[in-house]
Amino acid sequence: MRGFFLIIKAEIVRSFIIARRYWFRSLTGMVIGYGMLMVMIAGFMVSRDKVETALAGKFDDPTAATNFVLGFIIGMFAFSVVGMFTQGLQGMARTGVLEQLCMSPHGLITNFLARSVVGGVSTVLSSSLMVWLVTATVGGKLHFDPVSLPVLLLLTFINLLGFGYMMGGMVLVFKHVGEVALLIRMALFALAIMAREELMHSSFLLGAIMHALPITDAAICIKYVLIQDQVRVVNDVVTQVSVFRHESFYFLLASCVFWTATGMMCFKMMENWSRAKGTLGSY
Amino acid sequence: MSSTTHVVSLSNIQKTFVTRHFFQLDEDTHKRQIYRKRVVNAAMNVSFGIRRGEIFGLLGPNGAGKTTTVKMISGLVKPDGGVVEVEGMDVERWRHRILQRVGVVLEGTRTSIWPLTPLENLAYYGNLKNVTGKRLFERSHELLDFIGLKDQKNVQVRYLSRGQKQKLAICIALIADPQVLLLDEPTTGLDVQSSRSIKDKIIQMTREQGKSVLVTTHDMHVAQELCDRVGIINHGELVACKTTEELLTLFSDQQFEFRVDREPAAGRFQEIRGVREVSTTLSADGAVLTVRLVREPDKRSAALYEIVSTLHGDGYRLLGVNQHQESLESVFLQLTGPGPKR
Repeated sequence: MRGFFLIIKAEIVRSFIIARRYWFRSLTGMVIGYGMLMVMIAGFMVSRDKVETALAGKFDDPTAATNFVLGFIIGMFAFSVVGMFTQGLQGMARTGVLEQLCMSPHGLITNFLARSVVGGVSTVLSSSLMVWLVTATVGGKLHFDPVSLPVLLLLTFINLLGFGYMMGGMVLVFKHVGEVALLIRMALFALAIMAREELMHSSFLLGAIMHALPITDAAICIKYVLIQDQVRVVNDVVTQVSVFRHESFYFLLASCVFWTATGMMCFKMMENWSRAKGTLGSY
Repeated sequence: MSSTTHVVSLSNIQKTFVTRHFFQLDEDTHKRQIYRKRVVNAAMNVSFGIRRGEIFGLLGPNGAGKTTTVKMISGLVKPDGGVVEVEGMDVERWRHRILQRVGVVLEGTRTSIWPLTPLENLAYYGNLKNVTGKRLFERSHELLDFIGLKDQKNVQVRYLSRGQKQKLAICIALIADPQVLLLDEPTTGLDVQSSRSIKDKIIQMTREQGKSVLVTTHDMHVAQELCDRVGIINHGELVACKTTEELLTLFSDQQFEFRVDREPAAGRFQEIRGVREVSTTLSADGAVLTVRLVREPDKRSAALYEIVSTLHGDGYRLLGVNQHQESLESVFLQLTGPGPKR
């Protein structure tokens, strides 16, 4: 456990030094992210009628635009967490840093867990800042629940971590998977944007696939808290239903257990395979 | 290989790599093969040990299995068979515990994080190896001072020279004060000064701090200057494992050169017992009779005496006798070259 916190400390210091040393790059990244979101929102505003008409046919949802923007941010989070295990790992293998991590007495799983926690927290912080800036600019309103939101973010992170470990394990053995994984990351990104309760019920097969993937239920729950303020309309009666009693929350819990177990097991197996193949740490 | 006398010991290590290629061009037939399986023996029953305070050199041509051996000791590669032990602990069983006691510098990798300074790099890797607080601070400064990077401690690694980066890689490997240091081609691509400086530091820490060092190299001068013992590996097979002196003696004590006033008849000496090969060459002051003798000391002495007597009996004037001094390079070539191995 001490080792885990030591790595976290080392990662925080490293990230902080690099962010400070390359402050212009860090700032530019934030500005570009904010600019992209604003352009998207502007696009929605310009063609709002058309978008709402198009969406109205499918979903009776007046918050489609907010849903989309929030989905975009959750998607970015998923993209970034899984990216640490795919392109990130591939990059570290190229530079030789991965070999050093493999030779750390704490083991690769602990090292990656600590790296991901630091990376995840910094992504959550920067995403929160982005959400706040965007809502402040367009005058929208999101409902922050101090109890359910951290729980949901933690579960989302754990879920993505498990999935990331599985992908990372594959990258350990087959380094070029890192490039293919970009498509999977893009798919997760798109899922986070598209995730809606209505889609889950549209067909059994689609529903099953959506539940099996790590980001869908998480995105639905977060959107349910932030956009709908945990309010449901049942038989034309508006009722406050906690997210912890939401169907997707249970799927999220099950998904967390499944992906964490699968991810860890897969990563450990792949690490051993990679050692046998002689590709651990090297590109 | 007894692990009680050796800090690192490898016993009957075996490792085979299998690579599969699809639609690859065959160099011989110039035709594309749909599927091709290639088996490479990186280690075939390799056994050797490294003692405390010893510099052990592992020599071999490219692809001989040197790096694989280093990676098996550091736990990066799993052997197919055999046992690797560090301080009496099996690497397969106690990998994470052993990594605290082993420092590794692998060839051709960047190791250090370039946007950070050497001091920051050591702080980062120190934490990864359980070194913290005051100990980390003192150790980092001590290492940078020792290796000669004191003045560059606050310069970003990307601005350092290749030699300085290599020195930093050694510092990173030493941050947890490991008993064993594995250096894979530590001086490759470095200029003479940097190479000299790194070699001096390796010798210094082995002699002063009693560390055990494994150096892989294909630079024979590095091995000859640096190593107490040398193992020569070829196609995954350890073909020799002796002290540098023993290895040189073993191969140099067989060849003698007799400088005489005129060219002698080689056939006269070929019949002498203990003589394996005879050749003659003309020189400015006469001729040189080169004789390769058997290795057994008694037979060799008798043969030497017989040669001198024959020369004297035939009326040749003996101008001088030289024992041919082999370099580690020629020993290496004899052992790994295409010719018969001795």
